[in-house]
Amino acid sequence: MTAQTDPLVPELARKLVDTLGLDLVPETVDPAAPLFGAGLGIDSIDLLELVVLIEKDYGVKIDNRAAGVEAFASLNALAAFIRQRRPASPV
Amino acid sequence: MSARPPVYVTGMGVICAGANHVGELRDLLAHPVAHFHPPTVLPIKHPSGELPVAQAALIEAGEAAGLPRTHRLALMAAREAVGAGPLPDAIVLGSTTGGIAATESALEVGITSPEAFRCHGLDTVALHLAKAFGVRGPVITISTACSSAAVALSVAAALLRAGLAWRVLAGGADSLSRLTFHGFRQLQLVATNGCMPLDANRAGMTVGEGAGFLVLETAPDERPVLAVLAGTGLSCDAYHVTRPHPEGKGAVLAMRRALADAGLEPRAIGYVNLHGTGTPDNDAAEARAMKQVFSDAQPALSSTKGLTGHALAAAGGIEAVISILALRDGLLPANTGLETLDASLGISPVRAPTQAPLSAVLSNSFGFGGNNACVIFEKAPPSPSPHPSPRYAGREDPRATTGEVPPGSGLPALRIAASACLTARGGRDETWNALLSRESTAGLVPDAAFSKAAPATFVRRLKRLPRLMLALAQTVQTASGWTTPPETIAVGTAWGPLAETQEFLRKLFESGDQFSSPMDFIGSVHNAPAGQIALLLGSQAPNLTCSAGERSFSQVLLCGSLHIASGAGSALVVAAEAFEPRLSPLFEPEVAGTPLVSDGGAAFFLVPDDGAPGARLRWLGEGGNDGAVALVDRLAGVIPHHDAVVVGIPAGHTLAKDPAYARLSQLLPPATIVTYRDQLGQHASVGATAAAIAVRAVAEGRLPFPDVPIALPHRRLLLLEFGPRLTAIEVFA
Repeated sequence: MTAQTDPLVPELARKLVDTLGLDLVPETVDPAAPLFGAGLGIDSIDLLELVVLIEKDYGVKIDNRAAGVEAFASLNALAAFIRQRRPASPV
Repeated sequence: MSARPPVYVTGMGVICAGANHVGELRDLLAHPVAHFHPPTVLPIKHPSGELPVAQAALIEAGEAAGLPRTHRLALMAAREAVGAGPLPDAIVLGSTTGGIAATESALEVGITSPEAFRCHGLDTVALHLAKAFGVRGPVITISTACSSAAVALSVAAALLRAGLAWRVLAGGADSLSRLTFHGFRQLQLVATNGCMPLDANRAGMTVGEGAGFLVLETAPDERPVLAVLAGTGLSCDAYHVTRPHPEGKGAVLAMRRALADAGLEPRAIGYVNLHGTGTPDNDAAEARAMKQVFSDAQPALSSTKGLTGHALAAAGGIEAVISILALRDGLLPANTGLETLDASLGISPVRAPTQAPLSAVLSNSFGFGGNNACVIFEKAPPSPSPHPSPRYAGREDPRATTGEVPPGSGLPALRIAASACLTARGGRDETWNALLSRESTAGLVPDAAFSKAAPATFVRRLKRLPRLMLALAQTVQTASGWTTPPETIAVGTAWGPLAETQEFLRKLFESGDQFSSPMDFIGSVHNAPAGQIALLLGSQAPNLTCSAGERSFSQVLLCGSLHIASGAGSALVVAAEAFEPRLSPLFEPEVAGTPLVSDGGAAFFLVPDDGAPGARLRWLGEGGNDGAVALVDRLAGVIPHHDAVVVGIPAGHTLAKDPAYARLSQLLPPATIVTYRDQLGQHASVGATAAAIAVRAVAEGRLPFPDVPIALPHRRLLLLEFGPRLTAIEVFA
């Protein structure tokens, strides 16, 4: 896994830290750790903020609890979730 | 508690989806059919705009044309409530929207004329009613999100019981707006198919609008009594910015406080009108709260939001009218929208309109910031106490027009356990020293002066106003020496969290109404800072936010004083503003046009006057229309005991046209009238800052402005704040 990190993961880590105002260096966020309920101090409002961000930036909706559980399992999971559902890029 | 006067309901008025007046609402309750459709009063720029809402019909009132929708809704319901009866001498109005709907339209197309924003402020709704009815006494605006109207009823009852008004028009009004519609949508709290309270498949609320008002009085003269407002209870979850405490802890407190206030046992309540928004979290928490309060003897209960939608700040007013109709007609309203009851809730609502005799009903209203309010109505006594015999005829109450003062006027002074302020110079010491050196303290508060008040993780999502407020609150809590949190929190702000509002709307418009920030929506609510203070201090006490222009500070001092008068052991009173570069100049062009724009504010930790040394703060009054001159006349007797009259004159307020100032000038030699806004800066809550400086001044026996420090041999200052209405407080040692 570590050999081929999805480039979406550091991008998402940066957006996560910027959008939520977390007092963290993006590179230190463990891509395999749960986003919610773990050490990041992220709560349900933050997740809603991320839901909006992901739909706005990637065109992927997270509009039910099951999707939220899957997408926010970790940064890796979020990147995979986006890749699977992302609309075809025009380029 | 036994000796206090009952508060009678002698008038009511309502407008909401499906009902333009009380008679239509009564018909709607008997034949409940919801009318939820996509809005026609909001632009739909994206498929998300087609979510159903509960839009009121709003029959146009001719002279009201041109006013924002909230103002018109308020005027319709208030006119019905007042009717041909005697006019109110005070107003307590709950609102969260004010003129935001009109502001949104103007901002989106880039209008920069401040004229387009004259009705933005929440205060303008109540001021408009005050003008329509010639109200002479306090005109208070409460903004505690979706509990606003119920909190307003509580404050109105306290005003009457303290003898500060004869007859209060109280309730709430809110219109649909893109801010609230898209805000709740982005929080995933809006049901796509309409609200289904208590349903196993409930998926959220239906955003609505409307207004609901009661006329309340302790000595009704002319009109039949419809019900008795027997008790009210306020609380704060201090748990989360939006989500209710999962066990309904704050809701339980509010209901128990209301029952205690009414002197009733839970079994006396025959019907409960639930807050019942239809969101999974609210209904689950409220059901748990109901089980704790009523245990095995659950009263009849229902949510009527499946019928009316959720009219936000107006909800508690509309549901007060519904509760009184239920009481009057023995009608249990149905839980409209319910198909499959969520059995896990363990409560069983009324499924269809049912006749049942009732003697007492309870209505719940909860809002963001964990803000809870509960009101209890009892059936009117058969012959209201004693049978009213008209002491006067017509709409003009001679007690009011002759300037007769209600018997209880003059609340007790409160001891200031601690006070603090923030200006461009920093805290109070820096501000005081600058003033002594003849330096202005106008300008914006430097970040360093308020950035360290709370842990970084606590404030990471907060913008300027909540951070300023938290710093002020934390400072006085610590300095007070009290280790327990305040027993009332009252927060004043004329404009609310403007940076959050601006950011939410900017992102919304840029995305064609598709996206904005849920965080900014939550933060934009006027009572968000008060909720943050409760979280930081861990206070489940009543939590009020007043938003009434320059009068906001006076009104939070009034609310704190009323709560201490009825038994609270302490009150934290805060008032502050945060300048926002885009919106402030549009909303307050005169203030923003001053050479140096300013913000900041002050906080006071107040306790009952226990005789301990230190300064005292006392609310003396608020007057408008000819009530402002009457207030000056009333103060004429005490003015000689003051060393100086410290006067706040907002930029843009024309003193030459102010009859109250003319009267003051007749009473006093000019040297004893001292203005402070040139030194302290212009912003709506700078009156609080002036009071904090006055506290230091009476302690030291000298006032550091205007030109030469004034000696204060009596150590007593009168503070008057001019504007659309006049307020008076005093500081003494």
